Amino acid sequence: MNATLHDNKLTPPLLEMRQVTQTYMLSRKTLLGARPSLTVLDNVSFDVRPGEAVGLVGESGSGKTTLTRILTGMEKPREGHVFYNGADVWAGDAERWRNFRRSVQVVMQSPRSSLDPRMRIGLSLLEPLRALKIEGDHVARVHEVLDQVGMTRQALERYPHEFSGGQLQRIAIARALMPAPKVLIADEPVSALDVSIQAQVLNLLKDLVNELGLSLVFIAHDLSVVAYTTSRVSVMSAGKIVEVGKPMDLFTRPQAEATRNLVGAILTVEAGLAGNALG
Amino acid sequence: MMTLSKSTPSAAPADGPATSGVPISPPARKRRRRLPRNASLIIGLVLTAIFLTVALVSLFYLPSNPNIPVIRNRLLPAGTPGHWLGTDVLGRDIIAQLMVGARTSILVGAGGATLSLLLGTIAGLAAAASGKITDEAISRGADIMLSIPGMVTALVLAATMGSGALTTILALTAFFTPSFTRVIRSAAMGVLNEDFITAAKLYGRGKIFVLARHVLPNIAGVMIVQFTLYFAAGILTEAGLSYLGVGVHRPSISWGLMLNEAQQQVGVSSPLAIWPGLAIVLMVLGLNLLGDGLRDVLDPKLARRAS
Amino acid sequence: MTQTNPGRANALEVRNLVVHNSALTAVRGLDFTLPAGGRMGLVGESGSGKTLTALSLMGLLPMGWQANGSVLHDGVDLVTQSDKALSSRRGRTISMVFQDPLSSLDPVRRIGFQVSSVIRRHTQASQQEADRQTLELFRQMSLPRPEQLMRAYPHEISGGQRQRIMIAMALACYPQLIIADEPTTALDVTVQKQVLRLLNNAVQERGCALMMITHDLPIIAAMCDMVAVMYAGRIVEIGPVAEVFRTPRHHYTKGLLDSQPTMDNIALDGSSRLASIPGMVPPLQSLPKGCAFHPRCAAATEKCRTTIPTLEGDQRRAACWHPLGAEAAADAEVKAQ
Repeated sequence: MNATLHDNKLTPPLLEMRQVTQTYMLSRKTLLGARPSLTVLDNVSFDVRPGEAVGLVGESGSGKTTLTRILTGMEKPREGHVFYNGADVWAGDAERWRNFRRSVQVVMQSPRSSLDPRMRIGLSLLEPLRALKIEGDHVARVHEVLDQVGMTRQALERYPHEFSGGQLQRIAIARALMPAPKVLIADEPVSALDVSIQAQVLNLLKDLVNELGLSLVFIAHDLSVVAYTTSRVSVMSAGKIVEVGKPMDLFTRPQAEATRNLVGAILTVEAGLAGNALG
Repeated sequence: MMTLSKSTPSAAPADGPATSGVPISPPARKRRRRLPRNASLIIGLVLTAIFLTVALVSLFYLPSNPNIPVIRNRLLPAGTPGHWLGTDVLGRDIIAQLMVGARTSILVGAGGATLSLLLGTIAGLAAAASGKITDEAISRGADIMLSIPGMVTALVLAATMGSGALTTILALTAFFTPSFTRVIRSAAMGVLNEDFITAAKLYGRGKIFVLARHVLPNIAGVMIVQFTLYFAAGILTEAGLSYLGVGVHRPSISWGLMLNEAQQQVGVSSPLAIWPGLAIVLMVLGLNLLGDGLRDVLDPKLARRAS
Repeated sequence: MTQTNPGRANALEVRNLVVHNSALTAVRGLDFTLPAGGRMGLVGESGSGKTLTALSLMGLLPMGWQANGSVLHDGVDLVTQSDKALSSRRGRTISMVFQDPLSSLDPVRRIGFQVSSVIRRHTQASQQEADRQTLELFRQMSLPRPEQLMRAYPHEISGGQRQRIMIAMALACYPQLIIADEPTTALDVTVQKQVLRLLNNAVQERGCALMMITHDLPIIAAMCDMVAVMYAGRIVEIGPVAEVFRTPRHHYTKGLLDSQPTMDNIALDGSSRLASIPGMVPPLQSLPKGCAFHPRCAAATEKCRTTIPTLEGDQRRAACWHPLGAEAAADAEVKAQ
């Protein structure tokens, strides 16, 4: 369903989730009764092609967190498969897994929480290389990546608490870039940041996609932020992807009710000044 | 940076949130005069250092033998030259006894706190990082141990092993380990919920690495603070046990033992009980102040907020 | 009900408000007036001092923080009021809606009781009368099945409903002023509008003044008629919302407006770039000399680095040595159309 909407049908997806259903078992309500289950993802397929920026929006509880966890390999799907570069990541050997780990990197919502407060920035940046046993000139790589995110080398000797939220998010992005990934998954990367800083980080992500040819999966609850960063957006609601389209189409001709709700929820300064924002 | 909106309203006031217009009424304007930021740290450090020095010195030098009775010197008052704090009913110098007592107190308190810190850290980390079943087993085990009165454990240990410093240390370890386990477990869980742990796991870091390189450094502050507080509690408990006659006994001397002996003479010379009592109070106070001060300095959250 | 003297004086007159603790000064001299029934938005980023300002108005400053200056409300100076006097005002003449409705409600009391006890505390109403009024409030807030809701506990209802309960509670005694601190930040985007609409209508009906504290400019545009933009503990620009947002004079205000990703300023084909303010909000302990915004400002000159600009102007005031002039204003106007 997704593929038909994509312009370039010939390029195979780089990272793909195919027909994933994820069910959580809840605790028993009665002593002997069956354990009730909760289906958080219902036959969901999702993909991103090389160099493409795709978005995923939905309200809280729509299943986008679980989708993120499965896409990044934090969780194994009960049904369905995750493919990286055409290979099922959960069915291969250790080398395939390592390659997947290395190639798919994550930027999380809270920059304060995503860096160890007791670890110097330099060490935090080296961690992915050491953990994934990647060879090469690590110092040169650290410097290169710092340049890419617009931070200076002085940062290396410092601790996270010496930085502002926006700077920490740059550092978190730098860490994600360290193993030279092919896919960057950004889970609400700006919602914890101040307005004036959000734009900086969004621009940075955009530049990285363009300059490094990265694929980007941008997950957020705010359709306008996603629309700014990506060229194809999936809308989630109640564990399903209910609509996929270009941001422009979603804004102007939303089909699914969830999309209409999200578009309708957007407040703008102009609408507010015109007095019809809450209408 | 202040994060007010979240932290302030959650402080549940005593007069019931629902009774005020806004569902909170924290002790807002009541400006509690607190000691300057580092005063408790400094006072605590000084007191603790004094007692540690005394204990160390007692290994090499004592004004007189604290165990040999000198009948002609019995019950000298404080201020007597050569026996500045006086002597007890058998003519033994109080200062010498206090010095040896400091050694015992510190040995037993630190020993109990160290052993329980070690065991509690291992158990707490295991509970926090392993699966639900291990966690349940360890946590419920700790609950059961906590529900046994400490004094019973001490008496049973003393009855089976004979009383003495080692028995007291083991008894303290049995009291303190479950509480340590709980504290370490909850602190570790807090760290394990942070995103940098998720990130480390995504690079393929294993449990042991995560615990050693991420969790331990982040809970070290909690561990140090807890250690000083249990050190103090250990000294108090040791004094209590010795006072009851199930702790150390001569030729070892502890402050609790001195209290015990002084109590038998309370009709003859009441000041005898003051000196060991004062030593206990000052040492425990010093350690508690030190713990409080360290908490302010070491707590990463407080440090983060202050910066 | 105690809707005291309508057509009355200002809801709030803040004069030289300073909020500080032993080490830091977070609010560095605020002056503004909120007329009775007026709606003022207070915009700022984290560290701008907007939340401490609100808390100081309610006498709810966290431990160690202290307010100086004067805040006239209902004929008294809130800064010099005792705890007791302030506490009797909270909920009666001023009430506040917080960001996180879950931690603002008592988890072990029924919702109906929590709201009705606010009414009973400030009026002499009987329990029956208070319950009746509570039900009525729930209906006004379009809460589903209000009778059942009376008996529910906070964890049993959704975040949006909780925030509506909080608004109901804030409105219960017809206060002269409601302070709302990021009331929809913790809510889902799709619920935000509904909650804002209800708050808007309720404030309108009762004619009470509203002070809306948020970092979200569209919310201010939708809800307020005045706006004060705060930066590093000072108001840098203040005036009618439409004027400030259409023709900002302070470079910071303009930067904030430009960095909003909205349908107006993005091309939706992924090609556009957002304007952004370079640098970061300065930490309180190392504020730059002169205008606190100068390190991030393209128009900064020597004067900006040395001398703090004052709020100049009458209705519209901006604290800037090089306010955006007619040219920029015209540009913004065109863009706005």
